[in-house]
Amino acid sequence: MAYLINRLMSVVLTLFLISIITFAVTNILPGDVAMMIMGTQSNPEALAGLRESLGLNDPLIMQYGRWIGGILTGDWGTSLVFKEPIGPLIAQKVTASALIVVMSMTIALVCAIPLGVWAAVHRDRWQDSTASTVALIGVSLPDFFWGIMLILLFARGLGWLPSSGFVHPVDDFQLAIRHAFLPSLALGLGLMAHLTRMTRATMTGILGQEFIRVARAKGLSEGTVVWRYGLANAIGPVMTVAGLQVGYLFGSIIVVESLFNYTGMGWLTYQALLNRDIPLIQGSVFVIAAVVMLANLAVDLLYTLIDPRIRLA
Amino acid sequence: MTEAIVTIDHLRVTFGKGADTVTAVKDVSFSIAPGETVCVVGESGSGKSVTSLSLMRLVEFGGGSIVDGRLTLMRKDGPIDLAQADTTTMRSIRGRDIGMIFQEPMTSLNPVFTIERQLTDGLRLHLGLTGSAARARALQLLRDVRIPEPERRLKQYPHELSGGMRQRVVIAIAMACEPRLLIADEPTTALDVTIQAEILALINRLKREKGMAVMFITHDMAVVAQIADRVVVMYRGDVVEEGPVAEIFANPKAEYTKALLAAVPRLGEMQGKAAPEPLRLVGQKFVPKSLPPAAQPEPLLEVKNLTTYFPVRGGPLRRHTANVHAVEDVSFTLNKGETLSLVGESGCGKSSCGRSILRLVEPTSGSVMLDRKDVLACNPRDLRHLRRDMQMIFQDPFASLNPYMRLMAQVAEPLRNFGLATGSDLIDRVAALFDRVDLPRSYMRRFPHELSGGQRQRIAIARALAVNPKLIIADEAVSALDVSVQAQVLNLMMELQADLGLSFLFISHDMAVVERVSHHVAVMYLGRIVEIGPRAAIFENPQHAYTKTLMLAVPIADPNTRKLDSDLSFKPIPSPMHDRSYRPTPSTYDTVAPGHLVLRD
Repeated sequence: MAYLINRLMSVVLTLFLISIITFAVTNILPGDVAMMIMGTQSNPEALAGLRESLGLNDPLIMQYGRWIGGILTGDWGTSLVFKEPIGPLIAQKVTASALIVVMSMTIALVCAIPLGVWAAVHRDRWQDSTASTVALIGVSLPDFFWGIMLILLFARGLGWLPSSGFVHPVDDFQLAIRHAFLPSLALGLGLMAHLTRMTRATMTGILGQEFIRVARAKGLSEGTVVWRYGLANAIGPVMTVAGLQVGYLFGSIIVVESLFNYTGMGWLTYQALLNRDIPLIQGSVFVIAAVVMLANLAVDLLYTLIDPRIRLA
Repeated sequence: MTEAIVTIDHLRVTFGKGADTVTAVKDVSFSIAPGETVCVVGESGSGKSVTSLSLMRLVEFGGGSIVDGRLTLMRKDGPIDLAQADTTTMRSIRGRDIGMIFQEPMTSLNPVFTIERQLTDGLRLHLGLTGSAARARALQLLRDVRIPEPERRLKQYPHELSGGMRQRVVIAIAMACEPRLLIADEPTTALDVTIQAEILALINRLKREKGMAVMFITHDMAVVAQIADRVVVMYRGDVVEEGPVAEIFANPKAEYTKALLAAVPRLGEMQGKAAPEPLRLVGQKFVPKSLPPAAQPEPLLEVKNLTTYFPVRGGPLRRHTANVHAVEDVSFTLNKGETLSLVGESGCGKSSCGRSILRLVEPTSGSVMLDRKDVLACNPRDLRHLRRDMQMIFQDPFASLNPYMRLMAQVAEPLRNFGLATGSDLIDRVAALFDRVDLPRSYMRRFPHELSGGQRQRIAIARALAVNPKLIIADEAVSALDVSVQAQVLNLMMELQADLGLSFLFISHDMAVVERVSHHVAVMYLGRIVEIGPRAAIFENPQHAYTKTLMLAVPIADPNTRKLDSDLSFKPIPSPMHDRSYRPTPSTYDTVAPGHLVLRD
């Protein structure tokens, strides 16, 4: 319980720091909201009037206070590009992206753990080098390459899956999955490569431990020894790395969602950056940071369930 | 004699393939009868562990293969050759007919499963016990190995148990299905002497009660003397000698056995001798000279009321909530040209004490005078210069040398650091140091991995000697070495002391080694020195209860002096962690004889 409170406190503190950084960075950039609204050719007096009415002449600390107050009370401002309230806009896009993040993470874990364990069990033999080679190819090629390959194969070639677009899962769940599948796979392949290497390294260490020998000396079958005694110890470190990769995923979705024209958080952030939509940039960055932190919090809490040694800490 | 439970017949085990094949076990034959303890002794690389792993057919998991020989195990339904048995048969034998205990109790248990689960999965597998029946049996097993509060232990995880308790759990797991053969591979090597004595007594009692055969693997001749019925001596993959324990100790036939026994320091053998004396090794021509203390002892290191606490932080803000009292009001004097040993069990503060003197950790209070210079008052610059006079040798010769540096550069480093030599002068001095520690000069171009453990420790000694220190702190410097190598390194240290007038602060858990090398001995317990005095006084007339316990627990390398007749149960060491508000009492001592002080409890 103390651990939970401890962790939650640090999450709140970090979010606070992130909000300051986000706010500061978007204010350091040249140009401001008033100029984005009125355009660069606008009348200087009108511009000054708008600045005054938007409160852009107030001290930064007051502007920050207004912004963070809005964030906390649910008033996130209005997007300059989409002319819509930012809160509902982000909420919708976050669900879209959450779908591909969860799917790509599932694909990656489901493939990486068995592959990594398999490589560790057959260490230094052909199975190991095969797994390593596959992982290396996965790591070395960028996500958009996989995206293009998948579109060519499954959408253009075989015609099994749609190559672009987004359907909300509430509207049609099956269709939503079909639309999310290729972007998820493109993201999952790179991720899988990392996680395979991590699983292999962790399992190799664990299989060399004395308690594995003790388990064998009890007469347990090799399957039990590896998949229960071994994996129970490896799953924690692997999940931790998977949690850290959520941050990497949110970086990658900017490219992959644009490629698949999948209108999620990545696509939204890209549009915001492209059009210098400052309120939307601030909101998106803040939400992405929050999601990544919560994912890591979830992993850490999961870790306490898996590993009894953490509970006391 | 009854029929043997297990017979090993011309066993040969190799590792690797083709040109890289290494033969770990060349031709090993011996057998073990019911109710008999056979000790397999030998140094690292002798093939003793590989032999035991072959019996379990676990050697395959390490990349080894049994290429020749028979391993006959007598089962209820007749004999079976384990070397030819298939995987399924082997699984039904492991844990059922043969139980095994390993060296490292800290890593022998799966950290993420409860003790109950680890105890019962063998029972489920081999005896078909489930639910409450399995649980009841697990509880009984924990009682058999005399674990306090067995009900509570079942729900606990390994990290909640001490090392000694974990080893008891490992023994309980091995005993779960009442195996006919128990293989114990160095089961006490990683444990403190008092816990070692308890575990040895436990194995002995279980063997008696259940009539098991025990194969006990160890490198420690004192343990052999305490527990063996018969002894098999192995050397480089071969059996060099086999016989009843009394016979092996009284009348060793093989040259190797003689050398091995000569290298073992035996508690009590220094009785009546005035000064430390190098071990007399087999094949050594000259008579070792003893190291009498100076007629007019001159103090080199004076430690007064040294206290070191380590802060414990807790709570959401990582506040300083408590202290580990690692070193508590310790005072002693070490004379020039002499050795003072700090002896005690793990966690008693002996290493922290050594590190505090060098200020590798900052002491909380007290004073340390080295040759009349105040070590604790030094600023960083002066301290750097002062460290020329005090050097350290660490326990692990593998970890204390930089794997990327040539040995020449490592030994030269202290000289360069203090700007004492350059160019050809530097090379000459390093070469002289290699001569000093009996290493060929050709080794100067080598890297650490090209040397054996003993050779590496010689490098560590050469490095410490490079700056001509007055004091060397040797923290468990010989503990990781094989006995014959240990003897050589000890002799080297004593020789250096005689020639150079060095003072050693010798930190060790090994009472027999301490008796060999020390002029003075200080016994530490819970951060304090409980008894200090001349070596003879401590060993021949121990006064403090803890010193007596320690002496009682030390195995003696003589099969005629056995101590394992009854179950031993020593008091566990309490925690040295206290609240910040805790104010310890100062250490006060009673003087038994001149220089012989005993802590007043």
